[in-house]
Amino acid sequence: MWLSFFTPDLFASAIRMATPLALAAIGGTICERSGVVNIALEGMMLVGAFFGVVVTLATNNVLLGVGAAIVAGVLLSAIHAFASVTLRMDQVVSGTALNILALGLTGFLMEVIYGHPGATNGIQHIIGPVFNFPTGGTGVLATIWTWIDQIVFSYTPIVYLAIIIAIVAQWAMFHTRWGLRLRALGEHPRAADTVGIRVQAGRYSAVLISGALAGLAGANLTLEQVGVYSDNMTSGRGFIALAANIFGRWTPAGSYLASLLFGFAEALEIRMQSFQSVIHVPVQFFLALPYVLVVIVLAGFMGRAVGPAAVGKPYEKE
Amino acid sequence: MKKSFRTICALFVVFAMATVVLAGCSSTSTPSSSTTGTTPPASTFKAAMVTDIGGLGDKSFNDLSWAGLEKAKTDLGIETKVLSSKSIADYETNLTNLASAGFSPVFAVGFLMTDAVSKIASTTPDTNFGGIDIFFTNPPKNVVGLNFKEQEAGYLAGIVAGLATKASFDPRLNAQNVIGFVGGMPIPPVQRYEAGFVAGAKSVNPTVKVISLYAGKFDDQAKGKELGLSLISQGADVVFAAAGQTGIGTFTACQQSKKALFIGVDTDQFLTLTNPGDTILTSAVKRIDNAVFSVVKKAKDGAFPGGQNLTFGLADDGVGIAPYHDFDAKVPQAIKDAVDKATADIKAGTVTVPETLK
Repeated sequence: MWLSFFTPDLFASAIRMATPLALAAIGGTICERSGVVNIALEGMMLVGAFFGVVVTLATNNVLLGVGAAIVAGVLLSAIHAFASVTLRMDQVVSGTALNILALGLTGFLMEVIYGHPGATNGIQHIIGPVFNFPTGGTGVLATIWTWIDQIVFSYTPIVYLAIIIAIVAQWAMFHTRWGLRLRALGEHPRAADTVGIRVQAGRYSAVLISGALAGLAGANLTLEQVGVYSDNMTSGRGFIALAANIFGRWTPAGSYLASLLFGFAEALEIRMQSFQSVIHVPVQFFLALPYVLVVIVLAGFMGRAVGPAAVGKPYEKE
Repeated sequence: MKKSFRTICALFVVFAMATVVLAGCSSTSTPSSSTTGTTPPASTFKAAMVTDIGGLGDKSFNDLSWAGLEKAKTDLGIETKVLSSKSIADYETNLTNLASAGFSPVFAVGFLMTDAVSKIASTTPDTNFGGIDIFFTNPPKNVVGLNFKEQEAGYLAGIVAGLATKASFDPRLNAQNVIGFVGGMPIPPVQRYEAGFVAGAKSVNPTVKVISLYAGKFDDQAKGKELGLSLISQGADVVFAAAGQTGIGTFTACQQSKKALFIGVDTDQFLTLTNPGDTILTSAVKRIDNAVFSVVKKAKDGAFPGGQNLTFGLADDGVGIAPYHDFDAKVPQAIKDAVDKATADIKAGTVTVPETLK
């Protein structure tokens, strides 16, 4: 029985579900490292998901769709940057407003463009897996190959891209001049300003990068996973991504691994439901599991989480 | 000076956002007062409905209710009207407006309107009200609840799935004798679909293994897809999803993996999904249009069935199963016969479908 519980599909499912979380979480990490809180990840993911489908349906070109998703995320994040960096508004208020704006805007444009609420039409071809190796056969070798193929080679491009982004961002944040400056902005913007780093420009670029990554996460949801946009389909992933960023201690690699944990919890939840005839508990228990895990992990196991010192504080030149 | 410029700028941004948000809320679906009914000279009988926030065009609840009224307009020559709700705050206003304009019965579409319709009905006792998917406790004389026996539609879907998984009319059907169910939230209408589905499948295929998975949400397509893939990896070759938008993801899982057939829910989803032909076997449907029409007809004949909760099942054409469409030629006659027999048995009362599992 336990052999059928742990299948390669379980792990592949975890990585698939971790991908949108991880992209948004890394965006959140970069943004917060620069000293700007970004709780609008959810909204940026949502507009990315929506415009990815809109442009793909209009042009029949899924690459343009991915581009549109990124641009949509960047545009929404530009409002956040303007409000929180230039106008020095409260960053949480701006982020909340943008989340509501994203939900209202996508619902409104759905009416305008397609004439009905609910869901768009499906795109003709969603982005398929990068590799297509043959599997099958019998014997130990064939089984091992099936596992490797499923866990390593079964994914769509953005899933691999997310892993590359995590590695590159981790390296850049701690081993490049850009990374050092970014961290300085979030720890002590006055000191950074004193040595000639342009605080506002740096924060703008960090917020825009987070928008691009959240938009890409939206593209993963609609253009790679399901091929249709429906109202509010990000379904709270932006907020789980925020938790992953904190659990990952404001590092890109940590954010990716934390997202992987949350993805695995959800995959495990789905798998445990299939074994309900063996594990006799109400389905609500399983459904709550991933969220319970988030709370336990954040409250219990990681101790005090210390973010960048100047996060959430607008910077004003004297 | 500089500071005041900033303040003005900030205020401007806030207003701009607020405007767009409000625009987003207020422009859902048709203009709020679209008088779609012409005025038939012979009759002054007027029936209307208030949509839930989804509004017309949702290809589900609201559209089905409106279809019922449209049918009444054509067949019975009555006047009809629909008001769209843009927020929960609109429910009472819309209901009151229709009541004071002389419409009766007025239908409130959706469980969320329970309180609003109860309240307005008590203040306007001369107007009749109907509540779709609402079960009223002690309804007054001018209120009727319209509920559905989802389990009977699920039962027929279960028969199709239970027999199809043993058959071989499609290369995707495997020999593992496993079928799957995906639910949105574990709430009564969804659980009734599930209970009926399991009972129907077991009635024709006692050894079949039915795996039920719940998403916990109605709006998460990506989760719906993962649930579908999980079922498929466990050998399910026919999957029934009663999960709203989440179910679209499950459909994608079946279509993309090319390993399972899909059974839709509520409406004939062959007509609403993109490229469904190669994947949708059939749909378990809820005929809200028929239920609305029958209540309007009774009301017009002077016998509004107020003061009770009606339950529409197979016998009243309140639920049913959709055509096989592209699969019509492939589906073996044995399956069609079994569905017909079960339909007859349920209508005759010789088979009672359970509302809950076990």
